[in-house]
Amino acid sequence: MKNCTDMELIDKAQSGDHLSFAALADRHYMTVYRYAFRWCRSQEDAEDITQEVFIKLAGKINLFDKRSLFTTWLYRITANCAKDYTRKNNRWTKNKLPELPDNEVTASPNPGPENNVIARNILDVIGKLPKKQKEAVLLVYAEGMNHKEAAQIIGCAETTVSWRLFQAKRQLKKVLS
Amino acid sequence: MKPADNDIKKAFRQLEIPEPSETAKNKAVRKATDEFVKINITGAKKTKGFQEFLRRMGKIFQTLITMKGEPIMTQRQFATLGIMVIAFGLILSIGPQVFYSSKTVVDKAGPQSHQTAEIDRELPDGRQPGNAKNDKPETTVLPSKEQTAAQKTKDFLADTKTEMHKNVPGEMRQEEPLAVMQAPAPSSEKAAGKGYTAMLSEMASGSVRGRRALESDDGYGYPSLEYYQDAGRDKFAVITLNPVRLAGEEPVSTFSIDVDTASYAFVRRQLNSGLLPQKDAVRVEELINYFDYDYPVPQDRVQPFQPTVALYPTPWNSNTKLLHIGIKGYDIVPTGKPRSNLVFLLDISGSMNSPDKLPLLKNSFAMLVDSLSPDDTVAIVVYAGASGTVLEPTKVKEKGKILASLDKLSAGGSTAGGEGIRLAYTLAEMNFDEEAVNRVILATDGDFNVGITNQNELKSFIERKRATGIFLSVLGFGQGNYNDALMQALAQNGNGNAAYIDNLNEARKVLVDEACSTLFTIAKDVKIQIEFNPARVHDYRLIGYETRLLKREDFNNDKVDAGDVGSGHTVTAIYEITPVESGKKLIDDLRYRKTPQKPKVDAGDEYAFLKIRYKLPGEDASKLIAIPVTTEQEFDTIAKTPEDMRFAAAVAAFGQVLRNAQYTGDFSYDDILQLAEPARGRDQFGYRTEFLNLVRLAKTAKAM
Repeated sequence: MKNCTDMELIDKAQSGDHLSFAALADRHYMTVYRYAFRWCRSQEDAEDITQEVFIKLAGKINLFDKRSLFTTWLYRITANCAKDYTRKNNRWTKNKLPELPDNEVTASPNPGPENNVIARNILDVIGKLPKKQKEAVLLVYAEGMNHKEAAQIIGCAETTVSWRLFQAKRQLKKVLS
Repeated sequence: MKPADNDIKKAFRQLEIPEPSETAKNKAVRKATDEFVKINITGAKKTKGFQEFLRRMGKIFQTLITMKGEPIMTQRQFATLGIMVIAFGLILSIGPQVFYSSKTVVDKAGPQSHQTAEIDRELPDGRQPGNAKNDKPETTVLPSKEQTAAQKTKDFLADTKTEMHKNVPGEMRQEEPLAVMQAPAPSSEKAAGKGYTAMLSEMASGSVRGRRALESDDGYGYPSLEYYQDAGRDKFAVITLNPVRLAGEEPVSTFSIDVDTASYAFVRRQLNSGLLPQKDAVRVEELINYFDYDYPVPQDRVQPFQPTVALYPTPWNSNTKLLHIGIKGYDIVPTGKPRSNLVFLLDISGSMNSPDKLPLLKNSFAMLVDSLSPDDTVAIVVYAGASGTVLEPTKVKEKGKILASLDKLSAGGSTAGGEGIRLAYTLAEMNFDEEAVNRVILATDGDFNVGITNQNELKSFIERKRATGIFLSVLGFGQGNYNDALMQALAQNGNGNAAYIDNLNEARKVLVDEACSTLFTIAKDVKIQIEFNPARVHDYRLIGYETRLLKREDFNNDKVDAGDVGSGHTVTAIYEITPVESGKKLIDDLRYRKTPQKPKVDAGDEYAFLKIRYKLPGEDASKLIAIPVTTEQEFDTIAKTPEDMRFAAAVAAFGQVLRNAQYTGDFSYDDILQLAEPARGRDQFGYRTEFLNLVRLAKTAKAM
């Protein structure tokens, strides 16, 4: 099963083989987790989101029609789950936790060893962008996709992606300058 | 200046992503797989799809309300908007009590059909969307009423659960251990945490530890994989009872003999677990034929069997009589046993991974190997997701080698039964020995889901192979997902017999004690035709053999396949007949037609004329045995009837009572006990005593 391609695993999973499904989930765990972590910047939340993604995948795998790449499709679920998660989390935590102070040092829970303050600032601003812009930024700059691919995942027009990126960069400029 | 794209990319590169914990990963994969199994088993997907539908609608509402930021409405949003409009119309048309504007002009049929279509689309192939109708229309509540929607969804889920579809694809399946280990993520906890897939593979090899690892977890309340047990998905061919026929109108009855005993073992298993078997699981002839009756044994192989005929009063109906036809096959003396060329075709798919399947199978076959003689050959073919030869044809002299390869088998994967059968036949052909018994012994729970899965295709394949002289025996294992219908079909078409192995005793009975009759055929295509004398018999009814009926013209047609008799087999068939002089007939006489014409020959004391056709193994022309059934063979009271026949009558009664007692009146389990108890005879192996116990169990057993 290790040597099976994604498509083979999907075929088997769609015919009900749960082991193939497990292998598929196992194989793509890191991809999803990485995106989720970049989205929420917390290991715990990222793990939660990732779990949510695969539970969703279990319910939807039969709907995957193989016209697009599996990863594209998986990214779409991931992106949606991430957005849903933030929405849900906002609902829960808004009244309970005070907003974190706008401190550049604490805003990133895991500042890492880098001395590049600009990079950290950029990430912090991205973290606070509106969800749709953040999504576009993550897909294009972190996952290295072109606008077309990102548009496919988000389910919008290519120009929309470009527009959102433009807005995001404008926001970055405003904050950084 | 705006930050350059490269700066952003660099920033992301500098973001350090911590390794996810192995525990979290395992948990996620496990939960998702659980969900997957759950959806594939219960068909919960429908509800999922519906929730998804609601969610999407909610999203569109949201989009509509906020409508900001996005310059373009994309195609997708446009499509969903369409759906929303339709759904809105649906709400209007079905909820007049909520929305007063119920007089809206929206066409009712339109939106509803659209909604169904939406749900249908969410279903995986092959699942019948028919019960989407069950879905109460009110479930289309607005997203704000999540609470009630959730409740209703739950109800709906419960509904769908009860209605299991036959072709639900995924039951618990395990895969070969080597196939699973994936786990790319290096982790500090790696030493402690065990990969999910590794656990699965441990499960597959039957390790309790592996199972426990899966069960014990965070107490999230998710059922573990083991929780999903098949139940009530046993498949049986539907049986329509043989009707009562007028001897004056249809004096001839033809059927093929049947030596299978699978039905009895299955019924026993159900009763032992306190349940009444489903109606179609009870094949009365197989119940009767489970027992060995002491009929006279034929003298030689030329006429391999001798019919025994008797008439005696029906225990459950004082107005009728039973016509008992018994056949005992010539018994090959054990020293004269021909060599055997056996191919074991074993199902080791994931569905076989339960104590009453694969482990029992291994023990059973080990027993069989023990009883073979050193010159016999055995080959082992297994099938799961794919099929393969585990053991090339090997002489039983090397018993250790055979047993070792049996022992190594473990269950996992899906079931490519069709491919396995092909491979097994190829092996048997390769090693074909004209002098020997060439037989494929298939052991399975009957769940073929990969390769040739079409029953008819399988049947015709086996039918063609039958001509080459290779016979097929089918051994059924397990319960819950037992596909009896297919196994019967295979055995009947493959010149073989089917037995059901529910415990090691049964395995011994079938594979060791009766190995001779199971393995060595002494006559094939045995057909029985009986012509009733309308001057004596008013009407008649064949008890059982519903799946074995033949057309009248088939009797003389040697091309038509029928059942086979093995060495020492006994076969019994019972007719219930109403004599002409009986006071109460099952069918009234006609008012406008004359009573039956006089018989052509003067056969005053003949009730019927029995003809049996059979072929010797390896011959293509059939031979005929014919004897009349006369008053000489009649016993006037049950007490005078021989033990064996009384016992057979009791078994027949039992089978019929289990099948709703259409013709047995108020004959009760106690009556059966009374009839069977004194007729137990010597009962060397205790089978008849066991039968009595089953009758007692049936008294208290519940329906499913």
